Amino acid sequence: MPNPSPDFRYPLRWRLMDGVERLADTLWPRSMSRHTGWLFITPAILLVGLLVLGLIQIGDASLRVLDTATFLPSEDWSLTNYRKALASSTYLTVAWRSLSGAVLVTVLTLILAFPYAYALVRVRKAWIRKALLITLFLPFFIGQVVRAYGWLIILGNSGMVNEALSLVGVAPMRLLFNYGAVVFGLVQYMLPFAVLLLVPALTAIPEETETAAGSLGASWPRILWHVLLPMAKPGLIGAGLVVFTLTLTDFAVPAMLGGGSQDYIANAIYDQFFRTADQGLGSALALMLVAAGSVLVGLVFMVFGAGTLAMGGRK
Amino acid sequence: MSNPVYRPNRRALLRGTAAAGAAALIGTLPARRLMAQDAPAKPAEIIVRAWGGSWVDALKKGVSDPFTAATGIQVRHDLTEDNEIQPKVWAAVAQGRVPPIHINWDTTTNATKSALRGVTEDLSDLSNLANTTELAKPVGLDGYPIVNTYGYVYVLAYRPEAFPDGAPTSWKALLDPKFKGRIALYNDGIGFHFPAQVAGGGKLEDIPGNMQAAWDFIAQVKQQQPLLGEDPDFTAWFQNGEIDLACTISTNAREAKKNGVDLAWTVPEEGAKFDTDGLWIPKGLPENELYWAKEYINFAISKDAQQVWCDGLGLPGVVPGLTPPEDLVGDPSYPDTPEEMAHLIRISTKVQVENESEWFSKFKEIMQG
Repeated sequence: MPNPSPDFRYPLRWRLMDGVERLADTLWPRSMSRHTGWLFITPAILLVGLLVLGLIQIGDASLRVLDTATFLPSEDWSLTNYRKALASSTYLTVAWRSLSGAVLVTVLTLILAFPYAYALVRVRKAWIRKALLITLFLPFFIGQVVRAYGWLIILGNSGMVNEALSLVGVAPMRLLFNYGAVVFGLVQYMLPFAVLLLVPALTAIPEETETAAGSLGASWPRILWHVLLPMAKPGLIGAGLVVFTLTLTDFAVPAMLGGGSQDYIANAIYDQFFRTADQGLGSALALMLVAAGSVLVGLVFMVFGAGTLAMGGRK
Repeated sequence: MSNPVYRPNRRALLRGTAAAGAAALIGTLPARRLMAQDAPAKPAEIIVRAWGGSWVDALKKGVSDPFTAATGIQVRHDLTEDNEIQPKVWAAVAQGRVPPIHINWDTTTNATKSALRGVTEDLSDLSNLANTTELAKPVGLDGYPIVNTYGYVYVLAYRPEAFPDGAPTSWKALLDPKFKGRIALYNDGIGFHFPAQVAGGGKLEDIPGNMQAAWDFIAQVKQQQPLLGEDPDFTAWFQNGEIDLACTISTNAREAKKNGVDLAWTVPEEGAKFDTDGLWIPKGLPENELYWAKEYINFAISKDAQQVWCDGLGLPGVVPGLTPPEDLVGDPSYPDTPEEMAHLIRISTKVQVENESEWFSKFKEIMQG
C-alpha cells in the first residue's frame, strides 16, 4: 500500500473531531465507559440532592416549636406542629379547598384543553394553526400575577364585563373574590400547559384510525369515546398530573382573586413563615403538602401509569 | 424694564430644600459626631427597609434626603415587605452574615419579636432620645432595642356617598345588610380585634384572657362577606367602587383621598386601635456602618426630621411641639391631646407579641370557614 504524500492532511473537521476525542479520552478514559450512564445522570442527582437537603432542613424546622417569649425555635424535637396543623379546622378547610379545587381545575382544564389541542393537530389551514399557536403562547409572555390583575380589571364591579352587562340592563354583580373566581383564574392559567402536554399525544394518533372507525359506522362521539380518548390517555394523564400539582401548590391566584377568604395551602404556609414568624408550623404544613401531593401523584402512577411523563419508558 | 422677580425652577427648589434639610441636620446632630476626626469611615450607602408609596416618599423627604445632603451617604430604600425581610435578617444574624439591610422600619410588634430574639442593636446612646416623648420608648423591653418614631390609628374609612346622613358612629355599621360584600378588613384582622372586643360587648381588660366577644363580633362580620387584603387592595377597592367601609390605617385613607378617591374616616364610639412603628438596626453590621446607621435613626427622631416625615404620613411623632398638618387639625386619627388619646385603644406590645399568632389564627379560622 503506497504511503500517503508527506503533504497530505486530513480535512479540518476530521482533525477537530480527533482532538475532541482525545480530550474526551483524557477526561473520561475508555476504561470508565461502563460508568458513562452515571456521568450523565450526575447533574440530576446533584439537583435532587440539593432539594433533599432543603427538605431535611425543613423537616428539622417542622419538629421545633416556636417560643413566643424569645421567638426562637425549641431545642427539642416534637410533633407538636403536626398535631396543631391536623387539629386545626382552618387548615383542614384550606386543605380540602386546595385538594378539591385542584381536582376541579384539572377536570375543567382537560375538558377545555382537549378540543383545543385536537384542533391544533388536525386543522389543515396553516394560518389557523398559527393563530391557535399564537393564542396559546401569548399568555406565557405574561406572568401569573399580571394575568390575575388583568382579571381584576375585567371582572371588577366597574370592569368590562359589568359594563357590558349594564348595557343590557343587568345591575353590576360581584364576579370576583369568591371560589368561582379562583377556579376560573386557575383554569385560564393552566390551559396552555395542558394543551402543550396533550398535543404530542394527539399527534401520535394517526388520522386514518378515525377514518377507519368512521368507515365501520362509528359516529363522531363514539370515535371520541372509543378511539381518541383511550389513545390519548397518556397525554391526558401527563397533562392532568402537571395541572393538578401546579394548582395544588398555587399561591398567587387564590391570594388575588379570592379576596382573602379563599386561601389555598400555599397561602397558609406563607402566613406562617412571613406573618406570624412561626417557621416550624409553616415547615410542617409545607411537608404535609409535599406528602399529600406525592401520595396522590403516586396513586395515579400506580393506577394509570405516568402517561407522557414516562417519556416512552415502561409503564 | 422687566420686573426682576426671581422665579425658582424645580431644580433650584430641590437644591434649596436639600440645603435646608442639610442645615437642619447639621444643626440637629452633635457637631462632634459629624466633624470629629475619629468618626468612622462613611459607607457609600446605607439601606433602609421601608414601606412603599406615600410612606417611603415621606421618609425620603423628611429623613433620607437631608441625611444624604449632610453626610454624603446615599440612602437606598429597600421596599421588601416587613414580614418578608424579618426571616432574612434573622437567618443572617443566626449564620453570622452581614444582614441585608442597615435599618429596619418596622411595626413595633414585629420589631419586638426581633428584639426578643436578640437580633437588634441597642440604641440607648442616641443623643436625641433625650428630647422625645414616652411614645419613643418600647414598652416592656430593656433599653432601646427599637426606637418608636410615631403613632398611628386603625380608623374606620368609608365612602361618604354611602353615608348621606353623616359618618358611621359605630363599628357595628359593618353589620348593616346593605353593606354585605362591600366591607374590607386586613387579611389577618390586624387593627380590628380590639374594637371588635368592645363592639361585641366585651371589655378591653379581658384581653387576652377572654376575647370571645371579639370572635363573636367577627363571626357576625364574616356573614357580611368582607373582602380581606392589604393596604394597596383597600385603595384599589375603594377606587373601583368595590367597598364602602374598611378598617385601615389613617395614612392609607388620607393618601387615597389625596389621590382623588372619595373617602373619609372616623374613630367610632368604641374606639380604634392605636399602635406605633419604629426603627431598629440588626446585629452583624461592620462597626462603621453601625455608627452611621445609628446617626440616621438619631436624625429621624430630631424635631426637624419628625416634622417633615410625620407631616407626610399624617401621623403624630415622638417629639413634643410638632405642628399637625392643616388637614388633620382636630382629626381623631391624629391624637395630640390626652382626651383624644383616651378614646383610642392601646394594648401593650408584650401582650400583642405573645398572642398575635393565636389571634391571627382565630381570625383566619372564622374567615376561612
